[in-house]
Amino acid sequence: MIHIGRNTKSTIVSKGISAGHAENTYRGLVKILPSAAGARNFTQCDSLLMGPKCAAHTFPYMEVKNPTATVEHEASTSKIGEDQLFYCLQRGISAEDAVNMIVSGFCKVVFKELPMEFAVEAQNLLSVSLEGAVG
Amino acid sequence: MLEISDLSARVAGKDILTGVNLTVQAGEVHAIMGPNGSGKSTLAQVLAGREDYEVTRGSVTFEGRDLLAMRAEERARAGLFLGFQYPVEIPGVNNVYLLKAALNAKRKAAGEPEVDAYEFLALIRQKMKFMQMSESFLTRGVNEGFSGGEKKRNEVLQMLVLEPKLAILDETDSGLDIDALKVVSMGVNSLRDPKRAVVLVTHYQRLLDYVIPDQVHVLSGGRIVKSGDKSLAHELERRGYDWVGTQVA
Repeated sequence: MIHIGRNTKSTIVSKGISAGHAENTYRGLVKILPSAAGARNFTQCDSLLMGPKCAAHTFPYMEVKNPTATVEHEASTSKIGEDQLFYCLQRGISAEDAVNMIVSGFCKVVFKELPMEFAVEAQNLLSVSLEGAVG
Repeated sequence: MLEISDLSARVAGKDILTGVNLTVQAGEVHAIMGPNGSGKSTLAQVLAGREDYEVTRGSVTFEGRDLLAMRAEERARAGLFLGFQYPVEIPGVNNVYLLKAALNAKRKAAGEPEVDAYEFLALIRQKMKFMQMSESFLTRGVNEGFSGGEKKRNEVLQMLVLEPKLAILDETDSGLDIDALKVVSMGVNSLRDPKRAVVLVTHYQRLLDYVIPDQVHVLSGGRIVKSGDKSLAHELERRGYDWVGTQVA
């Protein structure tokens, strides 16, 4: 994300899901040029780890050349909560459906921005990819 | 409907239940009371099928079936509902979506047709009105940003939609103000039926003024040590749980 003009604002949302033996990496650049007085960026980087053998890495690069700019970065790492899973099971939902629901919920904010046809495909692809990924 | 025989269970290496015996017939409301650490929530979780809890002895039959041999979701589809003491938040998963998935899973297991989105929306609006819950519930994630009272109301709402045969409510009254307690009690009472049973796990006698139990049991040290009718709850309120210890010893 490159800020050139004054008072420009941007938001970066990254949702990464690792399963199996995967290692997922976020590498982002937020660049504030000297001309971008009062610029604002908020970056949110969330990782979801499915299983004990996968990992996630975050490399947030920030190059700020204007002191009146505000650049924020938040990172979180989580797994699918046992309690959340059990809540769904106790309501009669199968483990696989529960995982799909929770993972979709995790990605929702990103899927919402995609054109509908693509978002539907992305959602289906996600559930196919995760089949059997939860031991 | 529910027959618990000599049930003992352990979690994280610690024995919590030490031989629970309890029989619940259809149409009855039972209250299980007891001091902190007596195993009330453990009992509820073991009945619901939480895997962290290891059953070391005993048996449980639910409508003639071996409950302990069933997985958690199978027990739910067979008509067992647990109202959680601390309902968890699942942000990003819509309240309505979860409940519709749950209802359809149940219907599918029973060979009944599934409800579509329109039918379900009408159904849930009706129940929400009954439970005096706001429309915002429809758009939020499961328990997302809910206050303690709202979470408990949501548990009862889910119960009303799923219409379980056996509802186990784990401290559903804790953290509720009087108005919320009345609404929750009204919800529970609306489910009273000769074919259904309710087990209320609670510390306090207050809930039992609104949902009148047929039997009250005291759980202490992982076992039911005393049973009686609703007057037992009043006795406990007056004399405290220590009194039961002296009675049993």
